[in-house]
Amino acid sequence: MRKFNFIPYILSAAIFIGLEIAALSMLRNSGELQKIWIARVAHGAMKGVWGSGQKISDYFSLAESNSALAEENHELLLRIQHLEEILREHGNLSEPTPRNTKRFRFTNASIVKISTNLQHNYFIIDKGKNDGIVNGSGVITPNGAIGIVDAVSDNYSYVISFQNHNMNITARIGKDGRHGPMSWDGMRSNGAILKEIPHHLEIVPGDTIYTSGFSSIFPADIPLGTIRKASIVNGATYDINVTLFEDFGAIRYVTVVENIGDKEIRQLEDR
Amino acid sequence: MRRTYFGISFFLLVIVQMILCNYFQFTPLLTLSILPAMILCVPLSIGTPICMIIAFATGLSVDLFAEGIIGLNTAAILPVAFGRRTLMSIFLGEDLVARGDRFSFRKNGIEKISAALAISYAVFFIFYIALDGAGIRPFWFNVIRFLFSMLLSMILGMITVSSLTHEERK
Repeated sequence: MRKFNFIPYILSAAIFIGLEIAALSMLRNSGELQKIWIARVAHGAMKGVWGSGQKISDYFSLAESNSALAEENHELLLRIQHLEEILREHGNLSEPTPRNTKRFRFTNASIVKISTNLQHNYFIIDKGKNDGIVNGSGVITPNGAIGIVDAVSDNYSYVISFQNHNMNITARIGKDGRHGPMSWDGMRSNGAILKEIPHHLEIVPGDTIYTSGFSSIFPADIPLGTIRKASIVNGATYDINVTLFEDFGAIRYVTVVENIGDKEIRQLEDR
Repeated sequence: MRRTYFGISFFLLVIVQMILCNYFQFTPLLTLSILPAMILCVPLSIGTPICMIIAFATGLSVDLFAEGIIGLNTAAILPVAFGRRTLMSIFLGEDLVARGDRFSFRKNGIEKISAALAISYAVFFIFYIALDGAGIRPFWFNVIRFLFSMLLSMILGMITVSSLTHEERK
């Protein structure tokens, strides 16, 4: 086998680059158009090289930035909750806030493992009993309700994903429309079906679907998705196809919501 | 003797190229050049670095005495000189290049040499037209110029190759 010698190639390439630069320099000084064009191409190349370097650097620091942002987001959420409570005590908050923060406690978490291509998907978050997570808590993001905590260990929690046939969310059309159970359609990553909507209602594609707030798991008025199309089932109710806002393939940070008043409500129901 | 003949022929062809540049500019859509053919015919016993220096000197001479835009032919012909041995290895075989043998239409076939010549011209004209246009000419203009120039210059290039590899015709 012939031994490959790189040195002549490197030498040739170096001479080529040197001579080409010399030729282009002469060309640059010879014509005004060429001068402008070569300068533009050179600047473009430099921008590309330095820009790519910066992008790579930014990419590797993304995890750090995201963690810091998630922390900051959580802090802001807590501060809003605190301020709303103060305002409510002084009677200055006339309307209920979109999320009834008196009923819910929020804890931010990161997803450490997620499945998205099964029929019964799940994910695991990095917060557990030690962080105050309890079974049955909801998991949300700014783009929707994405799961329910099903099992909790000291430091981690197992969450049943919305992309799971065993999971339903009570959702409603608009902020004051009719509500019904919504579940994953099992086919598209961002597809869901809202069922049991009376057929006499006018369904407008593009309308937003929100959490109803009637379940003890999720706060009200979290936007979930928009209506794609509706079809009448058995001549009685609509099955509404919903396009979800959340991209399950890109979720990294979530918020766990615990209903503080849940125990009290259940006790009341048991009487 | 061979080298002396080649040297004299090469020098005369440089003058021919200068004449082509000065007196055969019929339209902006056509550029006639024999430089790629000349560089392709530099004996394979001469290594790439020396060939690139020859190409640089030849291109610069043409630029200085003919074109008016100094550096244009020089910048366009250097990639041809840089890729010459690789190109010849692909079309004429690695052994011929390793031995530094001479080549000719009769010995190696018109198709193989024409293919190598066509690629050399394509590389040359891509650089030449891009640098000459300096980004201000429309794409279609550059494409038509490339095709016209390739077609007519290839004919001149074949004659050039034939004259520079004359010994094989004995």
